[in-house]
Amino acid sequence: MSKPAIRVEQLKKEFRVTKPREGLRGAVIDLFNRREQSVVAVHDIDLLIPQGEICGYIGENGAGKSTTIKMLCGILVPTSGTIEVNGYVPFKDREKFVQEIGVVFGQRSQLWWDLGVIESFRLLRKVYRVGENDFQKRLNELVDRLALGDLLNRPVRKLSLGQRMRCELAASLLHQPKILFLDEPTIGLDILVKSSIRSFLMEMNREHGTTIMLTTHDLQDIEALCSRVVMLDEGKIIYDGSLDQLKEQFGGGRSVQVQFEHNTLVENVFESTSGLSATWSKPEAQLDDGKTLRVTLDDVNVPISEILERVVKLAGIRDIAILEPNTEDIVREIYRKGV
Amino acid sequence: MRFDLFFEYFRIYIQTRMMYRIDFWVEIVTDMMFQMVNLAVIVVAYKLTPTILGWSQAELFFVYGFFMVPYSFFTTFFNLWNFADRYIVKGEFDRVLTRPMNSIVQLSFENLDPSSLAGAVTGVVIMYFSAQTIGIQWQLLDLVAFFVSVVGGILIYAGIYLFMISLSFFTDAQTGIMPLIWNIQNYGKFPMDIYNKMIRVLLTWVVPFAFVGVYPAAFFLRRDGLSLWLTPVIGLIILSIALVIWRFGERSYRGAGS
Repeated sequence: MSKPAIRVEQLKKEFRVTKPREGLRGAVIDLFNRREQSVVAVHDIDLLIPQGEICGYIGENGAGKSTTIKMLCGILVPTSGTIEVNGYVPFKDREKFVQEIGVVFGQRSQLWWDLGVIESFRLLRKVYRVGENDFQKRLNELVDRLALGDLLNRPVRKLSLGQRMRCELAASLLHQPKILFLDEPTIGLDILVKSSIRSFLMEMNREHGTTIMLTTHDLQDIEALCSRVVMLDEGKIIYDGSLDQLKEQFGGGRSVQVQFEHNTLVENVFESTSGLSATWSKPEAQLDDGKTLRVTLDDVNVPISEILERVVKLAGIRDIAILEPNTEDIVREIYRKGV
Repeated sequence: MRFDLFFEYFRIYIQTRMMYRIDFWVEIVTDMMFQMVNLAVIVVAYKLTPTILGWSQAELFFVYGFFMVPYSFFTTFFNLWNFADRYIVKGEFDRVLTRPMNSIVQLSFENLDPSSLAGAVTGVVIMYFSAQTIGIQWQLLDLVAFFVSVVGGILIYAGIYLFMISLSFFTDAQTGIMPLIWNIQNYGKFPMDIYNKMIRVLLTWVVPFAFVGVYPAAFFLRRDGLSLWLTPVIGLIILSIALVIWRFGERSYRGAGS
């Protein structure tokens, strides 16, 4: 196996922040004597990301996602631990290192506000020392894939957010980086732009083997793109693995929703399936017509047909639906309760 | 140094400026007017007395004109008065650090202000005419001396202000110290003998703006060699110290949260 794209061991980042006192009196006291506090934003994390992987990095606001990404990009210097990205220690050989990575921070622009998009691209070509021929070839490809044709000569300030984000992506890829860091690339975008950005990233990953690491709050990004999910909470990694595994581990088993012909009592239904480790519950209020019930199977060995066979004797079944565990629900649950 | 990048950034500057053409001319005109008002103050002062502590009006003009040359080169390449606000508080320094280019050079190029060079031209014109009035005998070596002291002056400015903006890495907030320094800097335009001892020490040894304006200019007027050659030496020392502080600051940069 080739060298990993990202290798991180016991990485830690601690910030010193001042803790202001309350009120006017407090503000005056603060002038002379500030209370300092150290906040651990990233707490001894380990990560190993092989080349060519698309890794989703999720967590609540303030979990330490951006801090990690910034350390991986060489913007922040870690408090302790080791980082190696693409064979470099990011903050040490910064200039050489950033030559081979691309960075997009969703809420910040790397383009010149007043000028046509192409002007920024030309400048970036020089900054990254991309040859004229390579640049033209690459630009054509990006223009084609991201449908930038009409946008190139427009001033950045006149672009919509979706248009701008496509240009930002192109800007970060002009120098063919091996690793692409995206911090909330789809924030504030509409569904169409989101899905076109997703399929673009997939193509880049497939055709150029670009390793992609992205943070997002939109779990559909994760579903569409990521073979790997890393979940962060209060600076610690609480899950690292595939999305399927996440669903399996936290999805709470298979569920089936059954709609009976007549009103049915939960107690009766529950009794009929006793011994099968099935848990019955009422659906959400808007679906609760007195006839619909849900069952969750904790034991993988119990076939669904067994359940249906038993309950069908109580009342006729009008409809059944097998419920896939929804990533959003799973993640919400994890955020709320922890692992 | 990558000169191709300088021209690339310069192109961006011109293109941006062309979007706001009027703004460009207004800036040059106001800049000129600012200098004229300063000179007018000198003229008014000399209406009252023929010399001030042995300095004639033409001599003071000469010092003033000399001062303008390194200063305007400095502001052309070091237009970073809003550094703390734009790069630290708003976090644009993130972007600077993700590009394969020295961060200071990048900041300099991103904020180029060539319109300030008008000041250098004005300064040379003022020097030329006041030198004629004074009757300075120019020698070939003077050109070298002029060049050396201008470069030295730029180094001193760059050092002092780089030091100042480096501090904003540690404080996370805009400090009021920049306007203060800017005011002190303007004292360097006048002969040191007119100030009391404390200000003289301050301008010579603490924030050595005297080495940008009056000391090197005095070389041409009074032929006092030592202070002229001290200018680049002090410039190099200050700039080196500032670069060390900058490196430290860059490492403790924390970035605006997002």
